[in-house]
Amino acid sequence: MLFPTIDFGLFFAFSFFLVWGLNPYNTVKKLVLLALSLAFYASWNWRFLLLLLASGAISYLVGLYVDAAAARPFRRVALSVGIALDLAILCYFKYLDFFIAQALNLAHMLGFDLPLGFVNVTLPVAISFLTFHAISYIVDVYRGRIPASRSPLDILLYISFFPHLVAGPIVRAHDFLPQLASPRRAGDFSFSENMLLILGGLFKKMVIANYLAVRFVDPVFTDPSQFSRFDLIMAVYAYAVQIYADFSAYTDIAIGVAALLGYRFPQNFNQPYRALGIGDFWRRWHMTLSAWLRDYLYIPLGGNRHGALMTARNLLLTMVLGGLWHGANWTFLIWGAMHGCALVADHAWRRSAAFARWGSGPMVRVVDWALTFNFVCLTWIFFRAPSLDAATQFLAGMWTDNGAASTMPAVVLPLIACGALTQIAPSRARAAIGLALDNRGALAQAAFGFVLLYAIVVMAPPGSAPFIYFQF
Amino acid sequence: MVEPHVKPTTSTSPWRWLRVIYAVLALAVFAFPGGLVDWLDERNADGWLTAPLALARGVDAASAAVGVKQLGERLRAGFAAAIGERDD
Repeated sequence: MLFPTIDFGLFFAFSFFLVWGLNPYNTVKKLVLLALSLAFYASWNWRFLLLLLASGAISYLVGLYVDAAAARPFRRVALSVGIALDLAILCYFKYLDFFIAQALNLAHMLGFDLPLGFVNVTLPVAISFLTFHAISYIVDVYRGRIPASRSPLDILLYISFFPHLVAGPIVRAHDFLPQLASPRRAGDFSFSENMLLILGGLFKKMVIANYLAVRFVDPVFTDPSQFSRFDLIMAVYAYAVQIYADFSAYTDIAIGVAALLGYRFPQNFNQPYRALGIGDFWRRWHMTLSAWLRDYLYIPLGGNRHGALMTARNLLLTMVLGGLWHGANWTFLIWGAMHGCALVADHAWRRSAAFARWGSGPMVRVVDWALTFNFVCLTWIFFRAPSLDAATQFLAGMWTDNGAASTMPAVVLPLIACGALTQIAPSRARAAIGLALDNRGALAQAAFGFVLLYAIVVMAPPGSAPFIYFQF
Repeated sequence: MVEPHVKPTTSTSPWRWLRVIYAVLALAVFAFPGGLVDWLDERNADGWLTAPLALARGVDAASAAVGVKQLGERLRAGFAAAIGERDD
Protein backbone atom coordinates (compact mmCIF):
# COMPACT_ATOMS: atom_id res chain seq x y z
CA MET A 1 0.00 0.00 0.00
CA LEU A 2 1.88 3.04 -1.29
CA PHE A 3 1.16 6.50 0.10
CA PRO A 4 0.14 8.16 -3.20
CA THR A 5 -2.59 5.65 -4.05
CA ILE A 6 -6.35 5.33 -3.70
CA ASP A 7 -5.73 2.38 -1.36
CA PHE A 8 -3.88 4.57 1.12
CA GLY A 9 -6.30 7.50 0.72
CA LEU A 10 -9.19 5.25 1.76
CA PHE A 11 -7.11 3.57 4.47
CA PHE A 12 -6.14 6.93 5.96
CA ALA A 13 -9.68 8.35 5.82
CA PHE A 14 -10.91 5.25 7.69
CA SER A 15 -8.02 5.29 10.18
CA PHE A 16 -8.47 8.99 10.92
CA PHE A 17 -12.13 8.51 11.81
CA LEU A 18 -11.41 5.49 14.03
CA VAL A 19 -8.39 6.94 15.82
CA TRP A 20 -9.98 10.25 16.80
CA GLY A 21 -13.29 8.56 17.56
CA LEU A 22 -11.54 6.27 20.04
CA ASN A 23 -9.18 8.95 21.37
CA PRO A 24 -10.81 9.17 24.83
CA TYR A 25 -10.32 5.38 25.24
CA ASN A 26 -6.55 5.33 24.90
CA THR A 27 -5.93 1.58 25.25
CA VAL A 28 -8.66 0.68 22.77
CA LYS A 29 -7.33 3.34 20.39
CA LYS A 30 -3.82 1.88 20.62
CA LEU A 31 -5.16 -1.61 19.95
CA VAL A 32 -6.95 -0.31 16.86
CA LEU A 33 -3.82 1.58 15.74
CA LEU A 34 -1.81 -1.62 16.11
CA ALA A 35 -4.40 -3.58 14.10
CA LEU A 36 -4.32 -0.88 11.39
CA SER A 37 -0.51 -0.95 11.33
CA LEU A 38 -0.43 -4.74 11.03
CA ALA A 39 -3.02 -4.56 8.23
CA PHE A 40 -0.88 -1.91 6.50
CA TYR A 41 2.18 -4.20 6.72
CA ALA A 42 0.19 -7.27 5.69
CA SER A 43 -0.87 -5.49 2.51
CA TRP A 44 2.62 -6.33 1.16
CA ASN A 45 3.01 -9.83 2.54
CA TRP A 46 1.03 -11.10 5.50
CA ARG A 47 3.56 -13.86 6.18
CA PHE A 48 6.08 -11.28 7.41
CA LEU A 49 3.72 -10.24 10.20
CA LEU A 50 5.41 -12.95 12.24
CA LEU A 51 8.69 -11.14 11.78
CA LEU A 52 7.17 -7.93 13.07
CA LEU A 53 5.67 -9.70 16.07
CA ALA A 54 8.95 -11.52 16.78
CA SER A 55 10.87 -8.25 16.67
CA GLY A 56 8.36 -6.70 19.07
CA ALA A 57 8.56 -9.67 21.43
CA ILE A 58 12.38 -9.60 21.50
CA SER A 59 12.38 -5.86 22.22
CA TYR A 60 9.78 -6.17 24.95
CA LEU A 61 11.43 -9.07 26.79
CA VAL A 62 15.01 -7.84 26.44
CA GLY A 63 13.89 -4.33 27.45
CA LEU A 64 12.32 -5.65 30.65
CA TYR A 65 15.49 -7.53 31.55
CA VAL A 66 18.11 -4.88 30.75
CA ASP A 67 16.23 -1.96 32.34
CA ALA A 68 18.90 0.18 34.04
CA ALA A 69 16.67 0.69 37.08
CA ALA A 70 16.29 -3.07 37.67
CA ALA A 71 20.06 -3.68 38.12
CA ARG A 72 19.86 -7.34 37.13
CA PRO A 73 23.00 -9.47 36.60
CA PHE A 74 24.37 -9.98 33.08
CA ARG A 75 22.46 -6.99 31.71
CA ARG A 76 25.18 -6.38 29.14
CA VAL A 77 25.03 -10.02 28.00
CA ALA A 78 21.24 -9.81 27.67
CA LEU A 79 21.57 -6.59 25.67
CA SER A 80 24.12 -8.23 23.38
CA VAL A 81 21.83 -11.22 22.86
CA GLY A 82 18.93 -8.89 22.01
CA ILE A 83 20.98 -6.90 19.51
CA ALA A 84 22.41 -10.12 18.04
CA LEU A 85 18.90 -11.53 17.55
CA ASP A 86 17.74 -8.35 15.81
CA LEU A 87 20.84 -8.31 13.61
CA ALA A 88 20.54 -12.04 12.90
CA ILE A 89 17.05 -11.52 11.46
CA LEU A 90 18.34 -8.61 9.35
CA CYS A 91 21.40 -10.55 8.16
CA TYR A 92 19.41 -13.66 7.26
CA PHE A 93 16.98 -11.82 5.03
CA LYS A 94 19.22 -9.08 3.69
CA TYR A 95 22.85 -10.15 3.66
CA LEU A 96 23.12 -13.94 3.74
CA ASP A 97 23.04 -14.43 -0.03
CA PHE A 98 25.54 -11.58 -0.46
CA PHE A 99 27.99 -13.16 1.98
CA ILE A 100 27.48 -16.60 0.42
CA ALA A 101 28.24 -15.11 -3.01
CA GLN A 102 31.45 -13.50 -1.69
CA ALA A 103 32.51 -16.76 -0.03
CA LEU A 104 31.87 -18.73 -3.24
CA ASN A 105 33.79 -16.16 -5.30
CA LEU A 106 36.73 -16.27 -2.93
CA ALA A 107 36.74 -20.07 -2.87
CA HIS A 108 36.61 -20.13 -6.67
CA MET A 109 39.58 -17.76 -6.88
CA LEU A 110 41.53 -19.99 -4.50
CA GLY A 111 40.67 -23.01 -6.61
CA PHE A 112 38.25 -25.03 -4.51
CA ASP A 113 34.49 -25.40 -4.20
CA LEU A 114 32.42 -24.68 -1.13
CA PRO A 115 29.29 -26.76 -0.44
CA LEU A 116 27.14 -23.62 -0.09
CA GLY A 117 23.85 -22.72 -1.74
CA PHE A 118 21.87 -19.49 -1.85
CA VAL A 119 18.89 -19.19 0.51
CA ASN A 120 16.88 -17.05 -1.98
CA VAL A 121 14.49 -15.50 0.53
CA THR A 122 12.19 -12.58 -0.24
CA LEU A 123 13.41 -9.40 1.43
CA PRO A 124 10.67 -8.26 3.82
CA VAL A 125 9.59 -4.65 3.35
CA ALA A 126 10.97 -2.31 6.03
CA ILE A 127 13.22 -4.89 7.69
CA SER A 128 16.04 -2.36 8.18
CA PHE A 129 13.78 0.24 9.76
CA LEU A 130 12.27 -2.41 12.02
CA THR A 131 15.74 -3.37 13.20
CA PHE A 132 16.73 0.25 13.84
CA HIS A 133 13.68 0.86 16.00
CA ALA A 134 14.12 -2.39 17.91
CA ILE A 135 17.81 -1.80 18.67
CA SER A 136 17.24 1.84 19.58
CA TYR A 137 14.64 0.83 22.18
CA ILE A 138 16.66 -1.82 24.00
CA VAL A 139 19.87 0.25 23.99
CA ASP A 140 18.05 3.31 25.36
CA VAL A 141 16.51 1.17 28.11
CA TYR A 142 19.94 -0.32 28.90
CA ARG A 143 21.49 3.16 29.08
CA GLY A 144 18.73 4.32 31.42
CA ARG A 145 17.51 6.94 28.98
CA ILE A 146 13.98 5.53 29.21
CA PRO A 147 12.42 2.99 31.57
CA ALA A 148 11.43 -0.35 30.10
CA SER A 149 7.83 -0.31 28.97
CA ARG A 150 5.52 -2.70 30.85
CA SER A 151 3.13 -2.67 27.92
CA PRO A 152 3.79 -5.08 25.03
CA LEU A 153 1.11 -3.16 23.15
CA ASP A 154 3.15 0.06 23.35
CA ILE A 155 6.33 -1.66 22.17
CA LEU A 156 4.60 -3.34 19.24
CA LEU A 157 2.94 -0.09 18.28
CA TYR A 158 6.25 1.78 18.56
CA ILE A 159 7.90 -0.66 16.16
CA SER A 160 5.01 -1.07 13.75
CA PHE A 161 3.21 2.33 13.72
CA PHE A 162 2.24 2.52 10.06
CA PRO A 163 3.35 6.06 9.10
CA HIS A 164 7.04 5.32 9.87
CA LEU A 165 6.97 1.56 9.38
CA VAL A 166 8.25 1.26 5.84
CA ALA A 167 10.81 4.01 5.29
CA GLY A 168 11.09 6.06 8.46
CA PRO A 169 11.76 8.62 9.78
CA ILE A 170 13.49 6.64 12.52
CA VAL A 171 11.57 7.61 15.64
CA ARG A 172 13.27 7.24 19.01
CA ALA A 173 11.47 5.37 21.76
CA HIS A 174 12.01 8.21 24.24
CA ASP A 175 10.20 10.55 21.84
CA PHE A 176 7.38 8.22 20.87
CA LEU A 177 6.49 6.06 23.91
CA PRO A 178 5.49 9.02 26.10
CA GLN A 179 3.07 10.06 23.35
CA LEU A 180 1.26 6.73 23.80
CA ALA A 181 0.64 7.35 27.48
CA SER A 182 -2.44 9.53 27.15
CA PRO A 183 -5.09 10.63 24.64
CA ARG A 184 -3.77 13.05 22.02
CA ARG A 185 -4.78 16.69 21.63
CA ALA A 186 -5.50 17.99 18.14
CA GLY A 187 -4.71 21.50 19.39
CA ASP A 188 -1.02 20.59 19.64
CA PHE A 189 -0.78 20.42 15.85
CA SER A 190 -1.43 22.75 12.94
CA PHE A 191 -3.86 21.03 10.61
CA SER A 192 -3.11 23.22 7.61
CA GLU A 193 0.66 22.98 7.98
CA ASN A 194 0.48 19.20 8.02
CA MET A 195 -1.97 19.14 5.12
CA LEU A 196 0.55 21.24 3.18
CA LEU A 197 3.34 18.87 4.21
CA ILE A 198 1.39 15.89 2.84
CA LEU A 199 0.40 17.67 -0.39
CA GLY A 200 3.97 18.94 -0.87
CA GLY A 201 5.17 15.35 -0.42
CA LEU A 202 2.67 14.14 -3.00
CA PHE A 203 3.91 16.78 -5.47
CA LYS A 204 7.56 15.87 -4.92
CA LYS A 205 6.87 12.15 -5.37
CA MET A 206 4.15 12.08 -8.01
CA VAL A 207 5.43 14.87 -10.22
CA ILE A 208 9.14 15.57 -9.70
CA ALA A 209 10.47 12.11 -8.75
CA ASN A 210 8.20 10.06 -11.01
CA TYR A 211 8.83 12.12 -14.16
CA LEU A 212 12.58 12.32 -13.60
CA ALA A 213 12.79 8.58 -13.01
CA VAL A 214 10.62 7.42 -15.90
CA ARG A 215 11.58 9.99 -18.53
CA PHE A 216 15.30 10.26 -17.97
CA VAL A 217 17.14 8.72 -15.02
CA ASP A 218 16.02 5.10 -15.36
CA PRO A 219 16.77 4.80 -19.10
CA VAL A 220 20.19 6.46 -18.73
CA PHE A 221 21.27 4.26 -15.81
CA THR A 222 19.91 1.14 -17.53
CA ASP A 223 22.18 1.55 -20.55
CA PRO A 224 24.60 4.49 -20.24
CA SER A 225 26.44 3.52 -23.44
CA GLN A 226 23.45 4.74 -25.48
CA PHE A 227 23.64 8.28 -24.13
CA SER A 228 25.92 11.25 -24.63
CA ARG A 229 28.37 12.52 -22.04
CA PHE A 230 26.13 15.54 -21.44
CA ASP A 231 23.14 13.24 -20.80
CA LEU A 232 25.12 11.17 -18.31
CA ILE A 233 26.21 14.26 -16.38
CA MET A 234 22.66 15.64 -16.37
CA ALA A 235 21.31 12.23 -15.29
CA VAL A 236 23.52 12.40 -12.20
CA TYR A 237 22.08 15.80 -11.23
CA ALA A 238 18.58 14.60 -12.12
CA TYR A 239 19.03 11.57 -9.87
CA ALA A 240 20.23 13.82 -7.05
CA VAL A 241 16.93 15.70 -7.35
CA GLN A 242 14.92 12.51 -7.83
CA ILE A 243 16.21 10.72 -4.74
CA TYR A 244 15.74 13.83 -2.60
CA ALA A 245 12.21 14.40 -3.94
CA ASP A 246 11.34 10.72 -3.53
CA PHE A 247 12.70 10.09 -0.05
CA SER A 248 11.85 13.46 1.49
CA ALA A 249 8.34 13.06 0.03
CA TYR A 250 7.90 9.79 1.89
CA THR A 251 9.02 11.24 5.21
CA ASP A 252 6.99 14.44 4.70
CA ILE A 253 3.85 12.38 4.14
CA ALA A 254 4.73 10.13 7.09
CA ILE A 255 5.28 13.12 9.40
CA GLY A 256 2.08 14.79 8.20
CA VAL A 257 -0.05 11.65 8.51
CA ALA A 258 1.30 10.94 12.00
CA ALA A 259 0.59 14.55 13.05
CA LEU A 260 -2.98 14.36 11.75
CA LEU A 261 -3.39 11.26 13.93
CA GLY A 262 -1.94 13.20 16.88
CA TYR A 263 1.66 11.91 16.98
CA ARG A 264 4.83 13.94 16.50
CA PHE A 265 7.72 12.61 14.39
CA PRO A 266 11.19 14.16 14.07
CA GLN A 267 12.33 16.14 11.03
CA ASN A 268 14.27 14.04 8.52
CA PHE A 269 15.53 16.52 5.89
CA ASN A 270 16.68 20.11 6.08
CA GLN A 271 17.54 21.33 2.57
CA PRO A 272 20.56 18.98 2.32
CA TYR A 273 21.91 20.27 -0.98
CA ARG A 274 22.69 23.61 0.69
CA ALA A 275 25.24 21.87 2.90
CA LEU A 276 28.70 23.38 3.38
CA GLY A 277 30.80 20.27 3.91
CA ILE A 278 29.98 16.57 4.15
CA GLY A 279 29.49 16.76 7.92
CA ASP A 280 26.88 19.45 7.33
CA PHE A 281 25.30 17.32 4.59
CA TRP A 282 24.75 14.46 7.03
CA ARG A 283 23.21 16.83 9.55
CA ARG A 284 20.66 17.72 6.85
CA TRP A 285 20.13 14.45 4.91
CA HIS A 286 18.21 11.54 6.49
CA MET A 287 18.80 13.25 9.81
CA THR A 288 17.24 10.46 11.88
CA LEU A 289 19.58 7.87 10.32
CA SER A 290 22.62 10.11 10.91
CA ALA A 291 21.63 10.56 14.55
CA TRP A 292 21.02 6.81 14.90
CA LEU A 293 24.44 5.95 13.43
CA ARG A 294 26.07 8.56 15.67
CA ASP A 295 24.40 7.36 18.90
CA TYR A 296 24.43 3.59 18.37
CA LEU A 297 27.56 3.06 16.27
CA TYR A 298 29.99 5.99 16.11
CA ILE A 299 29.94 6.88 19.82
CA PRO A 300 30.09 3.23 21.05
CA LEU A 301 33.06 2.73 18.70
CA GLY A 302 34.83 5.52 20.59
CA GLY A 303 33.64 8.58 18.66
CA ASN A 304 36.28 11.32 18.73
CA ARG A 305 37.55 10.48 22.20
CA HIS A 306 40.77 8.64 21.29
CA GLY A 307 42.73 10.89 18.98
CA ALA A 308 42.64 11.81 15.30
CA LEU A 309 43.52 8.37 13.95
CA MET A 310 40.83 6.54 15.91
CA THR A 311 38.30 9.25 15.06
CA ALA A 312 39.05 8.73 11.38
CA ARG A 313 38.70 4.96 11.77
CA ASN A 314 35.37 5.36 13.57
CA LEU A 315 34.00 7.77 10.97
CA LEU A 316 35.05 5.48 8.14
CA LEU A 317 33.66 2.35 9.80
CA THR A 318 30.38 4.06 10.63
CA MET A 319 29.85 5.25 7.08
CA VAL A 320 30.87 1.93 5.49
CA LEU A 321 28.37 0.09 7.71
CA GLY A 322 25.81 2.83 7.03
CA GLY A 323 26.39 2.30 3.32
CA LEU A 324 26.07 -1.46 3.62
CA TRP A 325 22.81 -0.96 5.55
CA HIS A 326 21.28 0.34 2.32
CA GLY A 327 21.79 -2.98 0.61
CA ALA A 328 23.95 -6.04 0.17
CA ASN A 329 25.96 -4.71 -2.75
CA TRP A 330 29.51 -3.47 -3.27
CA THR A 331 28.10 -0.27 -4.74
CA PHE A 332 26.59 0.72 -1.37
CA LEU A 333 29.78 -0.21 0.43
CA ILE A 334 31.81 2.03 -1.88
CA TRP A 335 29.22 4.80 -1.55
CA GLY A 336 29.55 4.60 2.24
CA ALA A 337 33.36 4.45 2.08
CA MET A 338 33.46 7.56 -0.15
CA HIS A 339 31.32 9.45 2.34
CA GLY A 340 33.46 8.13 5.20
CA CYS A 341 36.69 9.37 3.56
CA ALA A 342 35.06 12.73 2.82
CA LEU A 343 33.91 13.02 6.42
CA VAL A 344 37.45 12.36 7.64
CA ALA A 345 38.79 15.07 5.30
CA ASP A 346 35.99 17.44 6.29
CA HIS A 347 36.70 16.80 9.98
CA ALA A 348 40.40 17.58 9.49
CA TRP A 349 39.70 20.71 7.38
CA ARG A 350 37.34 22.20 9.94
CA ARG A 351 39.90 21.76 12.68
CA SER A 352 42.78 23.23 10.66
CA ALA A 353 44.42 26.63 11.09
CA ALA A 354 43.58 27.41 7.45
CA PHE A 355 39.87 26.95 8.12
CA ALA A 356 40.05 29.13 11.22
CA ARG A 357 41.65 31.88 9.14
CA TRP A 358 39.71 31.71 5.85
CA GLY A 359 36.79 29.35 6.47
CA SER A 360 34.13 32.01 6.95
CA GLY A 361 35.01 34.00 3.81
CA PRO A 362 32.37 34.12 1.06
CA MET A 363 34.60 32.58 -1.63
CA VAL A 364 35.57 29.68 0.61
CA ARG A 365 31.90 29.09 1.40
CA VAL A 366 30.99 29.02 -2.30
CA VAL A 367 33.81 26.56 -3.03
CA ASP A 368 32.78 24.52 0.03
CA TRP A 369 29.19 24.30 -1.24
CA ALA A 370 30.18 23.47 -4.84
CA LEU A 371 32.62 20.76 -3.74
CA THR A 372 30.12 19.23 -1.32
CA PHE A 373 27.22 19.23 -3.77
CA ASN A 374 29.21 17.79 -6.66
CA PHE A 375 30.87 15.20 -4.47
CA VAL A 376 27.48 14.04 -3.16
CA CYS A 377 26.18 13.86 -6.75
CA LEU A 378 29.22 11.83 -7.81
CA THR A 379 28.63 9.33 -5.02
CA TRP A 380 25.00 8.94 -6.12
CA ILE A 381 26.32 7.11 -9.21
CA PHE A 382 27.39 4.22 -6.98
CA PHE A 383 24.16 4.42 -5.02
CA ARG A 384 21.98 4.27 -8.15
CA ALA A 385 23.98 1.87 -10.35
CA PRO A 386 22.77 -1.74 -10.12
CA SER A 387 26.32 -3.10 -9.95
CA LEU A 388 29.94 -2.06 -9.69
CA ASP A 389 30.43 -2.79 -13.41
CA ALA A 390 27.48 -0.56 -14.27
CA ALA A 391 28.89 2.24 -12.09
CA THR A 392 32.33 2.07 -13.72
CA GLN A 393 30.70 1.95 -17.17
CA PHE A 394 28.75 5.07 -16.25
CA LEU A 395 31.86 6.87 -15.02
CA ALA A 396 33.74 5.87 -18.18
CA GLY A 397 30.89 7.33 -20.26
CA MET A 398 31.21 10.61 -18.37
CA TRP A 399 34.94 10.67 -19.03
CA THR A 400 35.00 9.83 -22.75
CA ASP A 401 32.53 11.34 -25.22
CA ASN A 402 30.91 8.70 -27.46
CA GLY A 403 29.76 11.35 -29.93
CA ALA A 404 26.05 10.66 -29.39
CA ALA A 405 23.66 13.59 -29.50
CA SER A 406 21.81 14.58 -26.34
CA THR A 407 18.35 13.08 -25.99
CA MET A 408 17.50 14.65 -22.66
CA PRO A 409 13.77 15.52 -22.59
CA ALA A 410 12.97 19.22 -22.21
CA VAL A 411 10.99 18.55 -19.03
CA VAL A 412 14.13 17.55 -17.11
CA LEU A 413 15.51 21.06 -16.63
CA PRO A 414 12.28 22.53 -15.17
CA LEU A 415 12.06 19.53 -12.84
CA ILE A 416 15.64 20.03 -11.68
CA ALA A 417 14.81 23.72 -11.17
CA CYS A 418 11.81 22.66 -9.02
CA GLY A 419 14.18 20.50 -6.98
CA ALA A 420 16.54 23.47 -6.57
CA LEU A 421 13.61 25.61 -5.39
CA THR A 422 12.92 23.17 -2.56
CA GLN A 423 16.46 23.83 -1.34
CA ILE A 424 16.25 27.62 -1.29
CA ALA A 425 12.63 28.21 -0.31
CA PRO A 426 12.36 29.80 3.16
CA SER A 427 11.99 26.95 5.63
CA ARG A 428 9.34 28.86 7.63
CA ALA A 429 7.09 29.49 4.63
CA ARG A 430 4.99 26.36 5.16
CA ALA A 431 4.45 27.11 8.85
CA ALA A 432 3.44 30.69 8.05
CA ILE A 433 0.96 29.65 5.34
CA GLY A 434 -0.34 26.88 7.61
CA LEU A 435 -0.93 29.29 10.46
CA ALA A 436 -2.71 31.76 8.19
CA LEU A 437 -4.90 28.98 6.82
CA ASP A 438 -5.63 27.62 10.30
CA ASN A 439 -7.18 30.96 11.14
CA ARG A 440 -9.60 30.68 8.20
CA GLY A 441 -12.68 28.48 8.16
CA ALA A 442 -12.94 24.85 7.16
CA LEU A 443 -14.28 25.91 3.74
CA ALA A 444 -11.10 27.83 2.92
CA GLN A 445 -8.95 24.92 4.09
CA ALA A 446 -10.91 22.43 1.99
CA ALA A 447 -10.80 24.69 -1.07
CA PHE A 448 -7.06 25.26 -0.70
CA GLY A 449 -6.37 21.55 -0.16
CA PHE A 450 -8.53 20.55 -3.12
CA VAL A 451 -6.95 23.06 -5.52
CA LEU A 452 -3.46 21.78 -4.65
CA LEU A 453 -4.52 18.14 -4.95
CA TYR A 454 -6.26 18.87 -8.26
CA ALA A 455 -3.10 20.47 -9.64
CA ILE A 456 -0.99 17.50 -8.53
CA VAL A 457 -3.35 14.97 -10.15
CA VAL A 458 -3.39 17.01 -13.38
CA MET A 459 0.42 17.06 -13.52
CA ALA A 460 1.21 13.54 -12.29
CA PRO A 461 1.90 10.74 -14.76
CA PRO A 462 -0.41 7.70 -14.56
CA GLY A 463 0.51 5.15 -11.88
CA SER A 464 3.13 5.55 -9.19
CA ALA A 465 6.53 3.88 -8.86
CA PRO A 466 7.45 2.52 -5.40
CA PHE A 467 9.51 4.79 -3.17
CA ILE A 468 13.27 4.24 -3.56
CA TYR A 469 13.74 3.59 0.16
CA PHE A 470 11.18 0.74 0.19
CA GLN A 471 13.98 -1.61 -0.85
CA PHE A 472 16.03 -0.77 2.25
CA MET B 1 11.27 37.49 24.66
CA VAL B 2 9.34 34.50 23.41
CA GLU B 3 5.86 35.36 22.25
CA PRO B 4 3.10 33.17 23.66
CA HIS B 5 1.82 30.59 21.20
CA VAL B 6 -1.70 31.49 20.13
CA LYS B 7 -3.65 28.48 18.98
CA PRO B 8 -5.98 29.16 16.08
CA THR B 9 -9.53 28.60 17.25
CA THR B 10 -10.86 27.23 13.99
CA SER B 11 -8.53 24.27 13.65
CA THR B 12 -8.22 22.53 16.98
CA SER B 13 -11.01 20.00 16.58
CA PRO B 14 -10.24 16.70 14.88
CA TRP B 15 -13.87 16.59 13.69
CA ARG B 16 -13.31 19.83 11.82
CA TRP B 17 -10.17 18.25 10.34
CA LEU B 18 -12.25 15.22 9.40
CA ARG B 19 -14.75 17.38 7.52
CA VAL B 20 -11.95 19.07 5.59
CA ILE B 21 -10.19 15.79 4.75
CA TYR B 22 -13.38 14.09 3.63
CA ALA B 23 -14.42 17.16 1.63
CA VAL B 24 -11.05 17.26 -0.18
CA LEU B 25 -11.21 13.52 -0.94
CA ALA B 26 -14.85 13.74 -2.09
CA LEU B 27 -14.08 16.69 -4.37
CA ALA B 28 -11.09 14.82 -5.78
CA VAL B 29 -13.30 11.80 -6.53
CA PHE B 30 -15.86 14.07 -8.21
CA ALA B 31 -13.15 15.79 -10.27
CA PHE B 32 -11.43 12.55 -11.31
CA PRO B 33 -14.05 9.81 -10.88
CA GLY B 34 -12.43 7.38 -13.33
CA GLY B 35 -9.68 6.39 -10.88
CA LEU B 36 -12.06 5.22 -8.16
CA VAL B 37 -14.35 3.42 -10.62
CA ASP B 38 -11.37 1.50 -12.07
CA TRP B 39 -10.02 0.78 -8.58
CA LEU B 40 -13.34 -0.66 -7.41
CA ASP B 41 -13.88 -2.52 -10.66
CA GLU B 42 -10.51 -4.27 -10.38
CA ARG B 43 -11.40 -5.49 -6.89
CA ASN B 44 -14.97 -6.53 -7.60
CA ALA B 45 -14.31 -10.02 -8.90
CA ASP B 46 -16.45 -11.53 -6.10
CA GLY B 47 -19.18 -8.92 -6.44
CA TRP B 48 -18.90 -7.66 -2.87
CA LEU B 49 -18.14 -4.11 -4.04
CA THR B 50 -21.19 -3.85 -6.30
CA ALA B 51 -22.91 -1.18 -4.20
CA PRO B 52 -19.89 1.16 -3.88
CA LEU B 53 -19.12 0.56 -7.55
CA ALA B 54 -22.65 1.60 -8.50
CA LEU B 55 -22.26 4.72 -6.33
CA ALA B 56 -18.90 5.53 -7.93
CA ARG B 57 -20.43 5.11 -11.39
CA GLY B 58 -23.20 7.48 -10.34
CA VAL B 59 -20.60 10.04 -9.29
CA ASP B 60 -18.80 9.43 -12.59
CA ALA B 61 -22.02 10.09 -14.54
CA ALA B 62 -22.81 13.23 -12.52
CA SER B 63 -19.26 14.54 -12.98
CA ALA B 64 -19.45 13.88 -16.72
CA ALA B 65 -22.91 15.51 -16.95
CA VAL B 66 -21.61 18.82 -15.62
CA GLY B 67 -18.34 18.62 -17.57
CA VAL B 68 -16.01 18.35 -14.56
CA LYS B 69 -14.68 14.94 -15.57
CA GLN B 70 -13.92 16.08 -19.12
CA LEU B 71 -12.18 19.21 -17.81
CA GLY B 72 -9.86 17.11 -15.65
CA GLU B 73 -9.11 14.75 -18.53
CA ARG B 74 -8.44 17.65 -20.90
CA LEU B 75 -6.09 19.31 -18.42
CA ARG B 76 -4.22 16.07 -17.80
CA ALA B 77 -3.86 15.39 -21.51
CA GLY B 78 -2.87 18.99 -22.16
CA PHE B 79 -0.21 18.97 -19.47
CA ALA B 80 1.15 15.62 -20.65
CA ALA B 81 1.31 16.90 -24.23
CA ALA B 82 2.95 20.16 -23.11
CA ILE B 83 5.84 18.31 -21.51
CA GLY B 84 6.09 15.82 -24.34
CA GLU B 85 4.72 12.87 -22.39
CA ARG B 86 1.99 12.00 -24.92
CA ASP B 87 1.02 13.22 -28.36
CA ASP B 88 -2.64 13.87 -27.62
